[in-house]
Amino acid sequence: MELPSTITAGDGAAMDKNTRGRFGDLVFGMIARLAGWFILLVMAGIVIVLASGGWRAFSTFGPGFFTSTAWNPISDHFGAATSIFGTLVTTLIALVFAVPFAFGVAFWLVEMAPPALARFIETAVQLLAAVPSIIFGMWGFFIVVPFMAHYIEPMVTHYLGHVPAIGLLFRGAPYGTGLLTGGLILAIMITPFICSVMTDVFVSIPAVLKESAFGLGATRWEVMRQVVLPWSRQAVMGGIMLGTGRALGETMAVTFVIGNSNRMGWSLFAPGNTIASLIALEFPESSAGSLKLSALLALGAILMIISFITLACSRIFLQRGTSS
Amino acid sequence: MNKIIMDDTIGRDTVLPALAIRNLNFWYGSNHALKDISLDFPIHQVTGMIGPSGCGKSTLLRILNRMYDLYPGQRATGEVLFDGRNILSPGLDVNVLRSRIGMVFQKPTPFPMSIYDNIAFGVRLHERLSRADMDQRVEGVLRRVALWNEVKDRLNASAAALSGGQQQRLCIARTIATRPEVILLDEPTSALDPISTARIEELLDELKQEFSIAIVTHNLQQAARCADRVAFFYMGELVEVDTADKMFTAPHAKRTQDYITGRFG
Repeated sequence: MELPSTITAGDGAAMDKNTRGRFGDLVFGMIARLAGWFILLVMAGIVIVLASGGWRAFSTFGPGFFTSTAWNPISDHFGAATSIFGTLVTTLIALVFAVPFAFGVAFWLVEMAPPALARFIETAVQLLAAVPSIIFGMWGFFIVVPFMAHYIEPMVTHYLGHVPAIGLLFRGAPYGTGLLTGGLILAIMITPFICSVMTDVFVSIPAVLKESAFGLGATRWEVMRQVVLPWSRQAVMGGIMLGTGRALGETMAVTFVIGNSNRMGWSLFAPGNTIASLIALEFPESSAGSLKLSALLALGAILMIISFITLACSRIFLQRGTSS
Repeated sequence: MNKIIMDDTIGRDTVLPALAIRNLNFWYGSNHALKDISLDFPIHQVTGMIGPSGCGKSTLLRILNRMYDLYPGQRATGEVLFDGRNILSPGLDVNVLRSRIGMVFQKPTPFPMSIYDNIAFGVRLHERLSRADMDQRVEGVLRRVALWNEVKDRLNASAAALSGGQQQRLCIARTIATRPEVILLDEPTSALDPISTARIEELLDELKQEFSIAIVTHNLQQAARCADRVAFFYMGELVEVDTADKMFTAPHAKRTQDYITGRFG
């Protein structure tokens, strides 16, 4: 019991700790705490299953698991190199197409489009993000793959196939399915994510900063390149990483169009696979306790590590971008 | 540009204004924000624009360099004459216009780049200078705004590290670096402390030797101190315009008198 202070008027009774609502507070606090810890539990569970399940593959093949291009269930030889290669290449292709595309859309939406139209297109971009990946897979398989096989790939081979060095990328039979098509589908899928982050940061730039640049006689493009982009560089990078994370793990759409062949070569037209597509296809045919299952779990662990690193980068960029 | 013509009716040299507004009307969508304004901005003078919030004085300033172009739904009719042309006409290159009519804003707006590049930015948009010439230009304008001694050792440091008053002087330096003829200032000291404010007011006095200046201010003392002529706006109308002396001692309109004596605003 505190001694009543005689320096101020009143006895402070109204400020005694109120017991009303204490029980509700306690229960709610418990539920919230449990929910928070549960997330950690789920995360730990996934990591433990992947690591322990994949341990056999890691210990059987050693570091060679990362460099071996083998995938032979009959002789029980498995390596991760081809699917890691496919994952990285398709993601890179996706970024090469998606980043400029998303930037163009965001620039147009923020700086040039009439407001009514901009709102409409922005909604369309968000809807694109909500399209289930299986839809992209089917559309890719029935529309994009034949289109690539009949028109784009022969044309690209014709024009670029003879160029030294990069010509290697564009030779080979135009199957339609392959790394390039996989990358293109991914590009369409990650564009909305990158685009909406870009649109948000471009809009959040103080109007007066842009006006200052316009006030010196800068054109829209000069303002964008020299003021808006430097100002929002970090957040834009974060958005790109967010898209990268999605491209790395995307499964269904890629599985439909990549050709699913355990090959590694220069041609972007050649069929290949990614970690996610390989797991999706092979998992149902792996018996419990087999070395193959272990190899697939190990691949899962590798994919998760790659994704973690990408996401961590995006978080760091986004945080720095919004704090400056 | 400084054309001097003989005006026979009064028998002395008359200097044409730097900017002349004739029958200007302005709308934000359906809101009629400026009503039939006609006003001259004499060359090499400071023209102050005062009036209560929302009277249209900042709006007027943003018409003079076509800043309103950036926003849909804003339109102007009438004429704003500059260098013999109506700057409201659609065929005009606004980027060139804005390099000739510079603007300084309420809050300092350094670009996310170095002090040096902040100044070089505007110059590079319109001129190709050698490195030496650019250095000279940067030093020249920084000396003009009395910032050179404070920043000469850290020209490559980020402009964001400067104090508010320094940033605002940098923004003025950036504006005069493109060698405009007119400078528009939109309450340039409202975010600054009294000492920084005084330095900028001194600067204006010196800059008018070379530039014609239009300044919007909420601070009546500032208008009295800096401006040669003062225009009083109220609810989108230009109530009266006169020399600063007359405006603050013997205004014609009752509304002006009420405003400057603090009866509203």
